[in-house]
Amino acid sequence: MHEDSPLESGKWWHRWLLTPRELRARGVVGINMRNARYLLPNNPRKLYRLVDDKLQTKALAEAHGLSAPETYTVVRSPRDAARFESKLSAHPSFVIKPACGSGGKGVLVIDGRDDRGRYLKPSGAALTGDEVRHHLANILAGLFSLGGQRDNALVEYRVRPARVLTEISYQGAPDIRIVMLHGYPVMAMLRAATRESDGRANLHQGALGIGIDLATGLTIRAVHHGKPLFKHPDVDVDLIGIRMPGWGKILDIAVTCQEMTGLGYLGADIMIDETLGPLMIEVNARPGLAIQMANGVGLLRRLEPVVNQHALHPGVGHAEKIAFSQKHFAA
Amino acid sequence: MSTRAKLMVAVVFLVLLGGGIAAYKTLRLGVPFWKGEQVHDWQIEARISFLATGKSLKARLALPAAAVEQKTESESGSLGYHYHIESDLGEYTAVWSAENREESQALYYRVRIPDSTSSGGEPLPATAPEPGNPGFSGSLAEAANAIVNRAKALTSDPDSLFVAIFDQIRNADTSQEFLLVKRHYEKEFKHNAMILMGIDLLEMANVPARIAYGVKLEEDGGSRPPVPLVEYCDGAYWKVRDPMNPGAVLDGHSFFVWHRGGGPLLDVTGGEGSRVVFTVAKERIPMASLADLRHSPLLVSTILGLPLSERAVFRYIVLIPLGAFVVVVLRNIIGIPTLGTFMPVLLALALLEIPLARGLIMFAVLIAAGLWFRFLLSRLNLLVVPRVAACVVIVTLLMMLMSVVSYRMGMSGGVQITLFPMIIIAWTIERMSLIWEEEGKHSALTQVGGSVVVAVLAYLFMKIGQIQYWAFYFPELLLVLLAGILLIGRYTGYRISELIRFKTFAHS
Repeated sequence: MHEDSPLESGKWWHRWLLTPRELRARGVVGINMRNARYLLPNNPRKLYRLVDDKLQTKALAEAHGLSAPETYTVVRSPRDAARFESKLSAHPSFVIKPACGSGGKGVLVIDGRDDRGRYLKPSGAALTGDEVRHHLANILAGLFSLGGQRDNALVEYRVRPARVLTEISYQGAPDIRIVMLHGYPVMAMLRAATRESDGRANLHQGALGIGIDLATGLTIRAVHHGKPLFKHPDVDVDLIGIRMPGWGKILDIAVTCQEMTGLGYLGADIMIDETLGPLMIEVNARPGLAIQMANGVGLLRRLEPVVNQHALHPGVGHAEKIAFSQKHFAA
Repeated sequence: MSTRAKLMVAVVFLVLLGGGIAAYKTLRLGVPFWKGEQVHDWQIEARISFLATGKSLKARLALPAAAVEQKTESESGSLGYHYHIESDLGEYTAVWSAENREESQALYYRVRIPDSTSSGGEPLPATAPEPGNPGFSGSLAEAANAIVNRAKALTSDPDSLFVAIFDQIRNADTSQEFLLVKRHYEKEFKHNAMILMGIDLLEMANVPARIAYGVKLEEDGGSRPPVPLVEYCDGAYWKVRDPMNPGAVLDGHSFFVWHRGGGPLLDVTGGEGSRVVFTVAKERIPMASLADLRHSPLLVSTILGLPLSERAVFRYIVLIPLGAFVVVVLRNIIGIPTLGTFMPVLLALALLEIPLARGLIMFAVLIAAGLWFRFLLSRLNLLVVPRVAACVVIVTLLMMLMSVVSYRMGMSGGVQITLFPMIIIAWTIERMSLIWEEEGKHSALTQVGGSVVVAVLAYLFMKIGQIQYWAFYFPELLLVLLAGILLIGRYTGYRISELIRFKTFAHS
């Protein structure tokens, strides 16, 4: 794969673009290839609902003994919304999420209550019980769900990210995305918020993508809007060489996500809690391609060996898959 | 069989089928493949409609003499009616008759005429007719006489008198006498009041005149009532002219005189509310092959077998797949982001109806005003569907407002915008405002801009005359287009936009 001359860099057009031949030589996967070769053949349509509805994903996770944030209550009707406060009296902090939301839409984080019983957001803003109820009503009405259909609201444990992670993020909680094919982890990245991304971990809104070495769990490269960088733009901290705590367990969760959903190609989103360790947050059936830039490696370099391995040894177990990935996809 | 092989079989089959039918049509039936400048004929279809009242029915439609005498192709559509053509001293009438009919009835008469300089309104020798007398009395007669005398004083012959009188009518003369006569006619006659007034004034000036009917040879007009014309005698000949353009002789390339001679155009007994409308279409297929086409059992006959008024609808419908194809290319091969997959196609269709610049300005104004309104609405925390419906109402009102304003400012055509896809615009506003809030204005504007670029490119593609010609006369070529879309559906290469997105790999 390395014999091609287009690999040599420094051509005049590289300021603006790379030719298809050059991208191919680097093993970069485009949207069309992802959809036609990996998504469509490996992800049957009927499995999508398992991951598009977080209630179903969490039920599956529980059945498979997977660690995930504890569900305090599910608000399914205006009546539930009316008496949500009585259900949450034991929990000072919690997160409200639309069950079928995507991209962090409609997520409300409550850090605690003030002495007047109002709810406090991480920014310090206070919400009355009525305001929280209105947010719940919006979620039920489908304001944040795909296509605007009716939805349920999920109230769950508020993850307190491990210190190493909060240090490299400007507000917000960083999460780890692991892309899997046939149950083999192929690539991993950490998504950290910046001032520009406003606490959210969405790459095209200006969050950082930080590549993680599958073998060691060390961060290896960071990009901001596709450009490599070494220090956080807002916080003066190095982004490279940070070790993810509990890396073995993180890979274990990712592989279990594949086993429980049956999706061939997926992205597992995982957060690391300071006390509880790694927790499964959600599963994405259409993971994006920015992870390639965060790692500086084309996905095809990882996907093709997995396709071969899967064809040769279809019935490989959980631990062997992780071992294979850690051995072959080390940075 | 692998997926790839199945796809290739489907593609080859579609290309062979579509291309084969097209080749058969052009090689065996002689349908020209290139639009070119070849002569075309005009198809004119008269559609009579009325409400039958149950007794014995008879409908009589005056026919153009040229169509009957020159043995051009003509046909009548009339299920269960007895039909014949009556001839009376060079004047022809189509007669349909039936018994015991109820409810609304429709009759068709279709004729094909060559595109020529002759409009059918050429001077015909006259045998000294007697001018009639409108029989005015009192102040009305004095007023009418004053107008006629004033016009006569300025002119020397019937031709210039005709021009003088109709120029006065057209320019809405404001003299006392004129207004008096005008008011009288507007009260007496519901239709064509001004033309009947001109005819009576001509008769008072000793120029025999009568009403005639014509059809404008324009393809885009849809179904339209006949255009009233005036036939007058200059002493030796009967001449037909358009009272809206009194100075000019009728041009056979843009006008066809359907009926002259003064008799009624349409006469229905045993029915109520009768009316006749005309639809016009260009016909580029040689007459000899057209009959083959219509009776061919294959897909070949397609649209050409339909009545003209229904064919006209397909002029736009066959363009929609072309727009969809452009969207597929621009999204999956170029990678331009758009708001909603096929919103640009609908926008492009709307642009086909309105001049491009005006359409784009209108789109921009509607989106901007709608977005502003949507942000006001968002404070009310409405549910999704009522919110979009509220947006539809506002967009509709805005469009009415823009029509009125542009009309007041003297821009004609403000009224044509009814085809603008309002529901789609309301959804565009809704989605755009969501993206604006969630991903920032940069993302929202990029996507709307992308949609407009795609819409304009689709519009430019659909606007190409040759493309329109193929889509309409060779709709089987859409199967070839389908094959192309299937192929793109399996394209796994990079999008052009990804060559830029992934340029950071140059250094890795």
